[in-house]
Amino acid sequence: MHNIYKPIKATVKKIIDESPLIKTFVLKPEQKFSFKTGEFIELTMDGIGEAPFTPSSSPLDTEKIEVTIMKTGYVTDRLHEISAGQKLGIRGPFGRGYPLEKFYEKEVVILGGGCGFAPIRSLMHNLIAERSKIVKVTLCYGAKTPEDCIYEPFVEEVRSIEKFKVLRSVDKADETWKEKEGVVTVLLDDIEVDIKNSVAVVCGPPIMMKFGTLKLLEMGYQEEDIYLSMEKNMSCGLGKCGHCMMGDYFVCKDGPVFSYNEIKDYPGIWM
Amino acid sequence: MADCVKRYNIYAPTQSNIGLEYDIIDDNNIQDIIYNTPKTASPLKLFYLPVKENVVKETNLKLVNIIIGAPSCDLAALDILDEIYLNEPFIDPFYKKRRENSIIIGTDCYSIEENCHCNVYDVKAIPEKNHDILLSFIDERIFLSINSDKGSTLLKNIRDFADVVTMTEDLKNLIESKRETVASALKKQNRKIPAYSETGNIINESDDAIWKEFSRTCVSCGACSTICPTCTCFLLVDRSGFEKIRQMDACQFPGFARIAAGEDNLGERHVRFKNRYLCKYVWKPQKFKSLACTGCGRCIDTCIGGISKNKLFIELANQVTA
Repeated sequence: MHNIYKPIKATVKKIIDESPLIKTFVLKPEQKFSFKTGEFIELTMDGIGEAPFTPSSSPLDTEKIEVTIMKTGYVTDRLHEISAGQKLGIRGPFGRGYPLEKFYEKEVVILGGGCGFAPIRSLMHNLIAERSKIVKVTLCYGAKTPEDCIYEPFVEEVRSIEKFKVLRSVDKADETWKEKEGVVTVLLDDIEVDIKNSVAVVCGPPIMMKFGTLKLLEMGYQEEDIYLSMEKNMSCGLGKCGHCMMGDYFVCKDGPVFSYNEIKDYPGIWM
Repeated sequence: MADCVKRYNIYAPTQSNIGLEYDIIDDNNIQDIIYNTPKTASPLKLFYLPVKENVVKETNLKLVNIIIGAPSCDLAALDILDEIYLNEPFIDPFYKKRRENSIIIGTDCYSIEENCHCNVYDVKAIPEKNHDILLSFIDERIFLSINSDKGSTLLKNIRDFADVVTMTEDLKNLIESKRETVASALKKQNRKIPAYSETGNIINESDDAIWKEFSRTCVSCGACSTICPTCTCFLLVDRSGFEKIRQMDACQFPGFARIAAGEDNLGERHVRFKNRYLCKYVWKPQKFKSLACTGCGRCIDTCIGGISKNKLFIELANQVTA
């Protein structure tokens, strides 16, 4: 009988410094492993701890998976100290990911903040692969400062693809910054979108998701067309340990992707 | 019994310094077994979800466990444990093995305790489910009622060692009258406590003040969750070699819901306190078919802050009708 608690091993092939607090770990699992965009894995650092992450690589790439991790607590502090060659553990994939079929024939607006770009990047890989079915994609990405912006090469690549647009802002700019200044929601003022035929995806810190969602609703988005990736304390990742309960949902199993109408009256959605 | 203790691990209630508790039975304490009394301090759940268990290394459960003396409240509680731990596609193999590796002998209660309130949640003091054999100790003899194939097999295996007699009409009536006495006593003792179907409503109608008042003496010790037969939350703690220990946890502990960036929607103690009631009486009933509380009353017995959920519910119901 398959043991739901036992991780498969993966070797860290490469570590990319994205920003002072964020690194991307390129992993090669020792067994065949695949995931759908928006699903997450539980990543184990041997003897230290386990934490949930949504892979940021393309779900279509079967050779490797990438996880982008911010240094922010017990496990992630220690993950940031490891080197390539070390083995980590993976359990998963878990959860309900982004419903790609809901994005077909639509204009997709993505609002991302900080490390929230991680699940968004995997989603965008899917959208790029299926761009013949999508009307257009506008990514609004924000970070605290220019050096906190991640995935620069990816942003350049996306900007060269037809139907794809990337707008960026930082809370505090410097002389080198040529794009907008302000919280990420200011970018929504600049988008050219037919809201009636649009769906929105929001991912980032809880407070950013709250104000992003409120602004999108103001702009005329329907509650069922706003997709959020909810963040909760998780342990098992598979609907048993109870840590991620949000009302009668297990965020690890019923989510982490929810449409706003599914959660709007629930307690603790914005923490 | 003396023969059985050689072939099985047998657990039965005996008197200990904390009250009635499961003890492993050997030749020396067979005569100390106490039958048909509610309820051991430890719930049945701890046989299936021990406080700590390594869930990566394979276990070697050699002997089958026979658990004698499981009360109806704990047996009814197994429903929600099964619904959570055995649900597809993520079946917990350790829980499953322990469930399969045990034979449960339930006993009905011939007396009640002051915090027993199973009847309020439609759980009879007589085991109705999740047991293999039902045992009644009466007139110095043990009467067994078979409830499953496992029970039937066990009986076949031990039949040769017992003096088998059949039940008489008189003894049957004696058992029935004991059961009726208990049922009436429960009804009388618990007449003011709101039924399960009402509790969700009265909780939703409540304001913050009553939760702050009742949680004033709570110290977030988590005893209520640990001792509860239907509470199942746990934490996976890592050990080197990619091993993990599944350790029982409680939503009452601070930090249960805290996320990496520090946000915590259960940071305040009265919020954590109310959260457990919302979970058991509002959310779990929406999500699962099984009862998330079977009225055993252990949470009231064990609370070091002296908090009684029965008093709380009576107060909540009064507020709604007022």
